[in-house]
Amino acid sequence: MTAVMQARGLSKRFGGLQAVKALDLDLYAGRLLGVIGPNGAGKSTAINLLTGHIRPTSGRVVVDGADLTGAKPWRVAHAGVARTFQIVKPFRGMTVLDNVTVAAMFTGQRHTVHASRQAAMETLDRVGLAGAARLSPTELSVADARRLELAKALALRPRVLLLDEVLAGLRPGEIDPALALIDSLRRDGLALMMVEHVIHAITAVADEVLVLHHGEVLTRGEPATVLSDERVIEAYLGSRFAKRAKEELR
Amino acid sequence: MSTVDAPAPPRTTTVVPAVAPWWRRSAPWVLLAAGTLGGIALQTQLYTAQERVVGTVFMFVALATAWNLIGGFTGYPWFGQVGFFGLGAYVTALCMYHLHLSFWLSLVLSGLVAGLFAAFVGVPLLRLKGHYFAIATLGVAEGLREVVLNLPRATGGGGGLTIPTLGPDAPTRWLGNDGFYILFLLIAAAVVAVALAVSRSRAGYALRAVNQDEEAAAAMGINTTRTKTLAFTLAATLTGVVGSAQAFRIQAIYPDPSFDTSITELAVIMVMIGGAGTVLGPILGAIAVQYMSEWLRENYTNAHTFILGALIIVTVVLLPQGFVNYLGDAVKTRRFSLLDNVRRYRL
Amino acid sequence: MTQFVQATLYGLLQGGLLALVAVGFSLVWGVMNVVNLAHGAFVLGGAYVALELHDALGLDPFVSMVPAAAVLFALGYLIQRYLVNLVVNAPIFITLILTFGLEMVLENLLRVWFTPDYQSIPTGYAQDSLRLPGDIRIPYGKLIAALLAVAVTVALVYFMRRTRTGLSILATGMDRGAARLMGVKARHVYALTFGIAAAMAGAAGAAEGAVRTFSPADARSFTLFSFVVAVLGGLGNMWGALYGGLVLGVVMSWGSQLLSGTMVNAVAFALLVVLLAVRPQGIAGKAFYASRVEV
Repeated sequence: MTAVMQARGLSKRFGGLQAVKALDLDLYAGRLLGVIGPNGAGKSTAINLLTGHIRPTSGRVVVDGADLTGAKPWRVAHAGVARTFQIVKPFRGMTVLDNVTVAAMFTGQRHTVHASRQAAMETLDRVGLAGAARLSPTELSVADARRLELAKALALRPRVLLLDEVLAGLRPGEIDPALALIDSLRRDGLALMMVEHVIHAITAVADEVLVLHHGEVLTRGEPATVLSDERVIEAYLGSRFAKRAKEELR
Repeated sequence: MSTVDAPAPPRTTTVVPAVAPWWRRSAPWVLLAAGTLGGIALQTQLYTAQERVVGTVFMFVALATAWNLIGGFTGYPWFGQVGFFGLGAYVTALCMYHLHLSFWLSLVLSGLVAGLFAAFVGVPLLRLKGHYFAIATLGVAEGLREVVLNLPRATGGGGGLTIPTLGPDAPTRWLGNDGFYILFLLIAAAVVAVALAVSRSRAGYALRAVNQDEEAAAAMGINTTRTKTLAFTLAATLTGVVGSAQAFRIQAIYPDPSFDTSITELAVIMVMIGGAGTVLGPILGAIAVQYMSEWLRENYTNAHTFILGALIIVTVVLLPQGFVNYLGDAVKTRRFSLLDNVRRYRL
Repeated sequence: MTQFVQATLYGLLQGGLLALVAVGFSLVWGVMNVVNLAHGAFVLGGAYVALELHDALGLDPFVSMVPAAAVLFALGYLIQRYLVNLVVNAPIFITLILTFGLEMVLENLLRVWFTPDYQSIPTGYAQDSLRLPGDIRIPYGKLIAALLAVAVTVALVYFMRRTRTGLSILATGMDRGAARLMGVKARHVYALTFGIAAAMAGAAGAAEGAVRTFSPADARSFTLFSFVVAVLGGLGNMWGALYGGLVLGVVMSWGSQLLSGTMVNAVAFALLVVLLAVRPQGIAGKAFYASRVEV
């Protein structure tokens, strides 16, 4: 199986800070890569590097064999890569329907306004927001605002979907439906990458987990193996707490 | 893991069809045609002096609507519109004075030159945001004025240039007050038609998306650079055409009035008071402000700018989002209080 | 060579005064993200206060910098507290238009009260020149104006950095929400900021009145020069206005030696546009302010 999206040696330096260092990634159709790491580990920067919102200092990004290193975000979007933002970015002055219509309209092929609105309605239906089509995004709850963010990404009809903390701010009862939706996307054959803080959510859906720490890959592999890795616990909790946690586990 | 999609939470709003019925979509076009015909009918009721005043109102409808494309829809504070107005005026004057081209050809050339110049300066300028874009475009306009002022051989410098409109020297005969009334009415109608078409097209969605959040718009596949540059070029082209027509109307043109910053400022005020990002707003704003300004000038000559300034202050404090947007929100939420409105942006 | 030195000295003196004209504009912009189009009218207000005090009491215009600053401070405080604060959270268009309306009102008042004619404030010494070796002359008026202007600008920088009030203004400018949590009364601080800015403009106006003629129609050009100085200096750097003023003064002075007519203004604007496109944070500013999305 060949990867839909690949990154090789992706690095970004902001002045004296090495935000991401030599990151290798492969995203496959129908598989979900979970990316975890403590605050400031470079998770969001990694997504921004993949989508062209930040130009990498070095390294390559390839989608379907086409080199998209340093390409502008809209070219990456046209290549079939959609994303969500950690801090949701709805177009506040538009209705929920118009928000999604915009996404359905500029996929790289030409779509009429009419067709885009129909497609947007279907996408809203899929994420369970059809009833809110005429509302302003400012009237949505946190969970619905995340749904809208996801709907906008899906309306692009992507083959790769990069999710930046889509579960953040959700109540416990809202997490499972959201995970069910993500799981259904994977079964549809999307190549998924999910950056997350909620670790148990990642273990539930990820096929592979990658741990970032100080911009570098700490470890990667099966969810269960990675999460029991001492270095991962140490990265999250610091060495003293990691030792105590280990003793308690014993 | 469950295999069903997330269930939709219960909603109070009903699901509406994605696309409005045809009669609602064509209503603005019918209104525009009716307005244009009404303008022609109005002409029969006006004296010559009134004709000139109303013609100027049409000119500002066109300018405000053109400004709205980049300032309202796209949200870029364009404080250099008059630069393209003056550019259009001088291209027409130069073409007619030096090259003896017909006015109609000069009109087209003025639009093209203004548009090309906008496309050229737009790429670096549109990388700037907010106040920085405002100042940079203001600088371009002031710079153009200085260039025109300091090229006396071509432009006549501060002494101005008089377009020949009579006799054998005239490439096109002056159109007369009636003719210019119709010309400005048609230009205003055409500019509004362009704005209406843009507002409802893919480009309109792209512009509004760029206005709201440029980063998100780019992630949605919108080529933000191209979108902004196109809007800027279109707005400048239309402005250049208006400047061209105005130059022919007043015949004798000088650098200072052609590049008068208060033309830009009036257009901005008209759009903001009427409602930025709407098609109707700039039209209403232009009519209200220009009519008020003329009336004050006639009746309170000395305190004219004082009263106009005070009115602008009061309107901006009470209706910061503009009349049309206020009305839209108020009808939707059934809250009409202007005091509530003041609370929106108060510290 | 003499001409070059003379032009440079003139430019530096002019620039020092420009710094005081612009420093309040830059302060309001940096702290509140408000571009005050009425700033030039404030400068003229200071000039007319000095003119009135000279005609009524025979006060020297440089002495009048103090009362002019006091009058303008009160005016600025009230305008911000009861007017600009009402829309300070609105998109920048709104504050631009509000201050534009304010400028129309103030300019009209000045025209009605003081006539649209050009006026000047005579002093016994301002036209006399200090002669330096090499046939270089420096008019006393320009020298005193520039020295006082630079002194006041520097004093303002120290006031902002060293006093409780100054620091609370800077803190509010950096993060209003956080400053409020620290007990800063934002409404009062904003009004104070605007008042201080107007006071600086008033003092600059009195000094300008001593060295040149002025009329209400000059309000626009004072605002525009403040714009250019603020951008050249870069926002967020309190010394910016001083750098910006000196650079602009010298460039304009050199330009007028080399170019005919008012072409020097076109060069100044071209320089401004290129600078904005290449280095939007100004010569000395911080990138943070330029990259901030303000709309």
